[in-house]
Amino acid sequence: MKNWKKIAQSSDIKIPETEIERLAPSLDGLEAAFRPLVNTIPDDVEPAVTFRIEPEAGE
Amino acid sequence: MTILEAAQALRARRVSSAELTETVLARIHTLNPKLNAFITVLEESARAQAKTADQELAAGKDRGLLHGVPVAVKDVFETRGVRTTCGSVIFMHHVPKRDAAVVEHLASAGAVLVGKTGMHELAYGITSNNPHFGTIRNPWDPERIPGGSSGGSGVAVASGMVFMGMGSDTGGSIRIPAAFCGIVGLKPTSGRVSRYGVMPLDFSLDHMGPLTNSVRDAGATLQAIAGHDPRDETSSKAPVGHYVPEPGCSIRNLRIGLPQNFYLERLDPDVDVAVRRMAATAESLGARIIPVRVPDIAALNAVGRVILLAEASALMGKYTDNRDQFGSDVLALLDQGRFIAATDYVNAQRLRRMMQREFSQLWSQVDCLFTPTTPMAAPRIGEKTAALGDFTEDVRLATTRLVRGINVLGLPAISLPCGFDRRGLPVGLQIVGRPFDEALILQAAAALEDATDYHKQAPKDVK
Repeated sequence: MKNWKKIAQSSDIKIPETEIERLAPSLDGLEAAFRPLVNTIPDDVEPAVTFRIEPEAGE
Repeated sequence: MTILEAAQALRARRVSSAELTETVLARIHTLNPKLNAFITVLEESARAQAKTADQELAAGKDRGLLHGVPVAVKDVFETRGVRTTCGSVIFMHHVPKRDAAVVEHLASAGAVLVGKTGMHELAYGITSNNPHFGTIRNPWDPERIPGGSSGGSGVAVASGMVFMGMGSDTGGSIRIPAAFCGIVGLKPTSGRVSRYGVMPLDFSLDHMGPLTNSVRDAGATLQAIAGHDPRDETSSKAPVGHYVPEPGCSIRNLRIGLPQNFYLERLDPDVDVAVRRMAATAESLGARIIPVRVPDIAALNAVGRVILLAEASALMGKYTDNRDQFGSDVLALLDQGRFIAATDYVNAQRLRRMMQREFSQLWSQVDCLFTPTTPMAAPRIGEKTAALGDFTEDVRLATTRLVRGINVLGLPAISLPCGFDRRGLPVGLQIVGRPFDEALILQAAAALEDATDYHKQAPKDVK
């Protein structure tokens, strides 16, 4: 499991330590569910975020 | 009375919009102190709008099925000159200078806006137990939650305070209150309804849609609010369909997928029975029930949580230094979002693309899917865990488990009443369709509604 307190310190996330302790089980659960999925992504899959540029933007 | 019945009565001059509006305002006066569905009631402007609607109808100007019908919108939709709080102290005094696109559409359709409904703080939760505006209560049992985040709209419709309440749905926030309150909730396809002027929780998961007393009322509302809007970058140019199912519509030969994995697991037994009974009803009407295996929905839910946590925390980050402004549950979610790495967010959006492709293969086998909306009926206010057979599960995660993934995929979905549990609390059936095939899921839902009477049941002492 990740050390969320250390991550908070190194990332300058200002959350009281007692709060981080309360969040940890939920973050650990999500980490356990999500982390194995990442290695299954083929290299050519692009993210589904939206950014469009229209022709008139260059005029 | 439904919207369609009101529309008939208005045109037959059996009732006026002014009379309908006075009736609902009186009902709000009686019930709102107990149920807390509204943050703002707009008596004066509603009466003026009703008067105009009556004058227009008398003069032969007919704006369609919503003309003269009293409705409400969740307090996440901006209303010009009317406070829009998003259920948060941060926006306690926010008075927008514009109307949301949905509000514009409802006004063009002649609907009478009677108020702004309460909600879970910032639309970030499923209880509608709001620390700033009070607890919203379920009309079927005021000691239970109505679901959320569009809880006020659900309660207002279920208790007859309005004919339609608009909601927003990022991870089930229309369908959950629809299921818990025993009414219909429609989440359209991503891009079908403009998000312009809606205070966002998230950039890529938010959807807008109605909560109503009948399926055809949901269709009538979608008809009024659907369409392309250049002010919303995700708005689609896909043609708007015909969304009000005809009387006696058929589902003969419709291919209905009944998932053999995930969706029918870890349910309250009463929910399982109610959903399977509705599938049997569909079969008796000539539909084909096809057992299917769905892709990994637990993985899809994890992807959805990563996206939502990251996007919501990015959006609200400028406010989180002042921690006293948030309820503890919302603050905990906003704090969690700050731990999501940028690489994980990007990979979640890549997984979303993969899963969308995988899920789309289902549509060669079936026309729609039947699932429960929630694994159990409405929990008690303050309940943190739900017992589901041999399992105990966090209430928030359980409540969103069957609906969240559909937001990640952007698919249209409707929740309609499909029975009651042993305590008499309503249970919802979710029907999920192909992208932009709202017409089909509305038709399937209307055929089932015509064949059953669950939607006609009302909370005691309320209707």
